[in-house]
Amino acid sequence: MNRLWKEFSKGLWNELPPFKVVLGLCPVLAVTKTADNGFGMGLAVIFVLTLSNMLVSSVRKVIPAKVRIACFIVIAASLVVCVELLMQAFAYPLYQQLGIFVPLIVVNCIILGRAEAFASKNPITYAIADGLGMGIGFAMSLTVLGAIREIFGYGTLFGVQILGSWFKPFTFMVEAPGAFVCLGLGLAGMNALTNWQRRLKGLDAIEGPKHDCASCGMCNIK
Amino acid sequence: MKEMIKMVVVLSLICSLSGLTLASVRGVTKPFIEEQVLTYVQGPAIKKVYTGNDNNPVRDRKTFTLKDGAELTVFPFLKGSRLGGVAFESHGRGYGGEIGVMVGFSYDPASDMADVSGIGITTMKETPGVGSRVNDPEFGEQFKNHPFKGMALKSAGGDISAVAGATISSTGTVDAVKTAIATFNEIKGEFSSTWGSQEQP
Repeated sequence: MNRLWKEFSKGLWNELPPFKVVLGLCPVLAVTKTADNGFGMGLAVIFVLTLSNMLVSSVRKVIPAKVRIACFIVIAASLVVCVELLMQAFAYPLYQQLGIFVPLIVVNCIILGRAEAFASKNPITYAIADGLGMGIGFAMSLTVLGAIREIFGYGTLFGVQILGSWFKPFTFMVEAPGAFVCLGLGLAGMNALTNWQRRLKGLDAIEGPKHDCASCGMCNIK
Repeated sequence: MKEMIKMVVVLSLICSLSGLTLASVRGVTKPFIEEQVLTYVQGPAIKKVYTGNDNNPVRDRKTFTLKDGAELTVFPFLKGSRLGGVAFESHGRGYGGEIGVMVGFSYDPASDMADVSGIGITTMKETPGVGSRVNDPEFGEQFKNHPFKGMALKSAGGDISAVAGATISSTGTVDAVKTAIATFNEIKGEFSSTWGSQEQP
């Protein structure tokens, strides 16, 4: 149970995608113009990531090492097409908003990264916990990022006007550069918070994000 | 050798399983997707081209087979279960590809009187700011309650003013409407038997 919780919760802060692992940036920068777009994209990623981790982990012993990447991609691609069809069938306005970025989940590095680094080496329950945690972390980040950009860029949140008519929107925030700035400031803020916590405990501040490489293996350095 | 066979078998097995799954998911979601496309792509255009109906044209739609074998989905406008008009999509050649136009007709089967009640652009790839202005109200308003006669650009002897600087896009739109009128005349005899029968108790 302890390990299960550890695998699940690492995606929520310690290895929070996309801030801490800085993977899968293409959809992060492109679809977080509004909070509900980010949330919708996040839900799609939770679905694909959890199921792909589960499937990859369950077939990890029969897949020959030489064709494993091809197998992972086939699994992820099938799931993504499923999501795309379901989204078209039941949430068409969201599909119109996300457009090309739904099929592009296939090549989202987080999906393949978790399949290769975690699911293909761990039993199925841990793989599901990992996928769920990473997916929820990703959805959370996208929603928060989308909310910040939407508030400053349009003065709304989830489509509801929250800032008065005095507010002049910063169009910059809903353009691509605004996404980079938000992401960078968010990452800087998270690191500052970590260092502040470490100082409270009497530890030295760390330079840059520090990963526990043994358990993650996202970049496959051994 | 053994490893190679295993590689081939495993990969083809995974691929065929995924193909099977996708085919069944597609089959299940197909009717829902069609419904959604009608609601979110054609629905708004249908609402624009006719007013005064009290039915749901998307739900009451019927598919007709034309003389050339093509299938056409027609959306009826009913008022108190009497047919007041129809709408369907038609296409014309624009500057950047096909222009899809939803053409609405007001039609009284009893007196055989018919006019174009309005048009709405559904799909187009015209140059933004130039050809795309065929989607502007100023251009579209000209088709409101327009008789079939004189449905041509002013330069071709009709009474529709083209969008300045976008003759090809304007012609494409008018051509789509003209095609729609021809189609309408071809199948109008079938309308009252298709939807008019609802008058009987």
